[in-house]
Amino acid sequence: MFDHLLIAIATPLAAALLLLIPMPALARKVVAGVGFLMPALLALCVWAQFSVADAADYQFVTQYDTGLKDALGISLHLGLNGISLPLFVLAGIVGLAAGLYAIQSKAERPSLYLGLLLVMQAGLMGVFASIDVFFFYFFHEFALIATFIMVGVWGGRDRGYAAMKLTIYLTLGAMLSLIGLIALYHQSGAENFDLIALRQVIADGAINGSNQNVIFGLLLLGFGILVSLFPFHTWAPLGYGAAPSSAAMLHAGVLKKFGLYGLVQIAAPLLPLGVGHWSGWLALLAVGGNVLYIGFVTIAQRDLKQMIGYSSVMHMGYAFLGIAAFNIVGIGGVVLMMVAHGFSVALLFMLSTSIYHRTQTFDMDDMGGLAKQTPVLAAFFVTATFASIGLPGLANFWGELAIFVGAWKFSAVYTTLAISGVIISAVYGLRSAAKVFFGETSPALAKVSAEKAPTDLCWCEKIPALVLLAALLFVGFWPKSISEGVNTAVSALYSGK
Amino acid sequence: MFQNPLQIAQLVFLLPLASAAVIALALRRQGNIAALVATFTATLIAAGGLYLAFSGERFGVTAPVSVDWLTLGSFTLSLGLKFDDLSALMLSIVGVIGLCVHVFSLGYMHDDDAKARYFGGLSLFMFAMLGIVFADNLFMMFIFWELVGLGSYLLINHYFFKPSAAAASKKAFIANRVGDFGYLCGILLCYHFYGTVNLSELAARSAAGTLAVNNVIPLLLFCGAVGKSAQLPLQVWLPDAMEGPTPVSALIHAATMVAAGIFMLCRIEPLFAIAPHALTIVMWVGTATALYAALCAITQRDIKKVLAYSTLSQLGYMVAAFGLGSLKVAHGGASAHEVVLAAGVGAAMFHLTTHAFFKALMFLGSGSVIHGCHHEQDIFKMGGLSKKMPLTFVTFTLGVLAIIGCPGLAGFFSKDAILYLAMEKNTAVFAVLCLTAVLTAFYMIRMWKLVFLGTTRSAAAAHAHEGGISMTLPLIVLAVLSVVGGYEAIYGGHFDGVLSQIAHPHGGDHTTILAVSLAVMLVGAGAAFLFYKPSADDTLQTKVPGAFAALTLTQKSFDAAYDYYVAKVQQRFAMLLNYIDLIGISGIIVRGTAGVTGLVGLATRALHTGSLHAYVYWFLGGAVFLWFFASR
Repeated sequence: MFDHLLIAIATPLAAALLLLIPMPALARKVVAGVGFLMPALLALCVWAQFSVADAADYQFVTQYDTGLKDALGISLHLGLNGISLPLFVLAGIVGLAAGLYAIQSKAERPSLYLGLLLVMQAGLMGVFASIDVFFFYFFHEFALIATFIMVGVWGGRDRGYAAMKLTIYLTLGAMLSLIGLIALYHQSGAENFDLIALRQVIADGAINGSNQNVIFGLLLLGFGILVSLFPFHTWAPLGYGAAPSSAAMLHAGVLKKFGLYGLVQIAAPLLPLGVGHWSGWLALLAVGGNVLYIGFVTIAQRDLKQMIGYSSVMHMGYAFLGIAAFNIVGIGGVVLMMVAHGFSVALLFMLSTSIYHRTQTFDMDDMGGLAKQTPVLAAFFVTATFASIGLPGLANFWGELAIFVGAWKFSAVYTTLAISGVIISAVYGLRSAAKVFFGETSPALAKVSAEKAPTDLCWCEKIPALVLLAALLFVGFWPKSISEGVNTAVSALYSGK
Repeated sequence: MFQNPLQIAQLVFLLPLASAAVIALALRRQGNIAALVATFTATLIAAGGLYLAFSGERFGVTAPVSVDWLTLGSFTLSLGLKFDDLSALMLSIVGVIGLCVHVFSLGYMHDDDAKARYFGGLSLFMFAMLGIVFADNLFMMFIFWELVGLGSYLLINHYFFKPSAAAASKKAFIANRVGDFGYLCGILLCYHFYGTVNLSELAARSAAGTLAVNNVIPLLLFCGAVGKSAQLPLQVWLPDAMEGPTPVSALIHAATMVAAGIFMLCRIEPLFAIAPHALTIVMWVGTATALYAALCAITQRDIKKVLAYSTLSQLGYMVAAFGLGSLKVAHGGASAHEVVLAAGVGAAMFHLTTHAFFKALMFLGSGSVIHGCHHEQDIFKMGGLSKKMPLTFVTFTLGVLAIIGCPGLAGFFSKDAILYLAMEKNTAVFAVLCLTAVLTAFYMIRMWKLVFLGTTRSAAAAHAHEGGISMTLPLIVLAVLSVVGGYEAIYGGHFDGVLSQIAHPHGGDHTTILAVSLAVMLVGAGAAFLFYKPSADDTLQTKVPGAFAALTLTQKSFDAAYDYYVAKVQQRFAMLLNYIDLIGISGIIVRGTAGVTGLVGLATRALHTGSLHAYVYWFLGGAVFLWFFASR
């Protein structure tokens, strides 16, 4: 049988292994290109064949015994439901864009660079295709380790400190969530550590309230650190500021969604009382911390990449608010937002690197007037900025709107405060676009231009940018393309909540 | 093929989107073709729109014509078309003005380097504007509400290499976002309070008397209009928006987009009908804006800024008219019953219509002047243009006469409708609006005299010349409409759903209103005509410097306050929080904790001692250990 999901995980891995063999540049590009292209094509193929009406159930299911089934209840159990499908597609498409961008980049030791990126890609595909909770976790670690190495070796300024901080935070987060997951498994009394089994067991008899509170608290803390929940966010801007662009694209765009995905797909539906117990605190941290506090911090940023990193932290606040709302509209909005944010933040990180190559700086005060020389780059960046500040017609709008609609039932006050964030994001978003591209040419840019005049985006940059932009516009104009499956799956998981 | 009115409407609605997409994807370097594509699209929109409006076809009023666009749980966002008399009137305005502006732009933007971007932006704007016109529910309206903001941003920023244009576009979008914040909260509250945001459903429930009273919802929704229609205190973006090309100012910042706020208010009139307190606030906001902007207009030197403040003032008029609300009038002689007219809606929409004609005319006329004077915009450097640009002079004069309420022209009728309503409902508002009318006549005649009469005061003005046919034709069309637009007969009864709501004065009231309106016009116009001398300096500034300084201070006070907030409060607050984030949270808490927490400490040491890999293995080992322990 042709197993789409397994092949989508295995191809980048195989390509990464192949890259260990010394080979000429062209062959390297072809091997890596295939490794990035296959998951994207397979994801689109799966998306086209997916039955939306049955989105509550896992489809494309396969199971492989890894020898741990009897001892530990673990097996490689793959499949997609309406929640994981859009994220699987997200991983494929962002991976393709990041890969294409990396192939043309001039990184040192390109084989290792591409190989690690392919390892990340394999891990990402695995995270969202796994039904088995162990493998869900395992694939995340797999991708995370590659991320740490990439930041440490190819990172920019402060890469040593950034890599260390990233490693400490994310490992701590992952560890806490692992403890939470194990506790969940233990308490449920399930025979297998896969999600289907867990759901069945818990449907027959829920975990008692106080245990739910503890376990959900652990998971929220662990996953929260991974998704930069305030005040555990400080790794994110620093890490993304230092990370090489393709790694930042994959981590901020996709891997970071692991935590939200874990909460939405696993933790919240299985531990409803726990959610209720923590939702007040969660909303407070999400709105007061991530949206408002970080929103203002974002306004103060001068470094373009740090600003994008902070803005990404801010947008996670909306997602946490949607989880706190704990109803179908809010949770559905979180899933839509995860996908949309993945595309937009990846595009912004990519373009910021393209800007850097032209201005030789990330300091926005030293830019200005770049649009005259690079109108296409400006058009892409402005569109991506509008996507990230939630303009209708681009994907992010739907997620934010649904979260607001859902959260209003939970708390009109928190929702109103969260909506005020749309003003903050307009302030820093448009300010950055104006600082980088509009107005007169800054003296610093004039100096750089005199040495080497900035050229507009080349096709090797345009293609990955177009892939992401097309995804943003497609979902923006046609939200049903993902929302129908999300709705079916979320409605089944969260019915009566 | 397109026999069905609904299909025509869909075509009219989607054509500009297609045009924008084609220009963005394929015509980036073919400015001339892009211009033709966009203008052809505008022609089809005008033709289709007028056909729909005047054929009497209406749909989506009783039964919704919509598709579900997003469904999550119990929440459904649908996109649907509602085409009643109100949207038919708005569609006609957008179609006609849109076409005039496109044609005018062919001449005005002839030598522009970024023609494709300009015309693509116009098409995108037309699409968004039509979305507002057709929207049958508030969520859909919000979507297009934000998109017109994008169109406005792109077009104000057309000359993006000018720092002033970049700043103005940013300011416009952010000020609108502030309004939209309230607007979105209002929509959400409406959705959760009434269970629907469908306009027809709200109207039907209001008519049946089953709509619970809520003053907060209409006020929050009004925030959207405050942003989009630039009412106090968010009016600051509109004068700055004049950084955009002049035809854009005519289309977006005079006739259509800024009027969308008033259109939206008329759409949700049922919510206001049960909320008199909300209506009172709306009335006073509009009245204050009308007066404030008229005062600001007096000291302006830039021809476009005069028109911008005039637009603000007239928008205030419309909002005030809406806020005055309904009126009980005797129907059919002395013995007959009384009927309640939604007179506010009627008067506001009537004035919106005539204003669209004469203000678009004057903006395009100013474009013609600016084009003729080689981009000179200072009215004190013009003068004597009546001889050099006779056609612009004649049409512009008609526009001026229309706005100051000269009997027989469009503005006379619509302004009288508002003044009569104010006289009946609220004397204080009536007095302020009369004062505003005096000021309107004053600053308009000031500008008109300085631009067209007297001696030529600069080399640019001395060499002024008329533009080509593409620039003069739209002026003629709009001049005709500015003359006849006040006669309801020309609308052929097709917009009676709106226009029949206008309250007309009878008998003694009629005489009073006529006398008042003539008096205010003559006082204002006469004073300005006699007072201002054709010189390079503002006569008010030289003769009464105190008054001039006071007016300038009034005008600049809002911007000064906002600038202070942005630079001194917001930025410092942001810097402070950034400092706390860097030092406080990541410094003390994180590193401090790292010092005492064994786990983190261990991890740190593992890192410091050497390779990352070692640590990673350590971690994986730990995970497996935990796993074993837990699963036993």
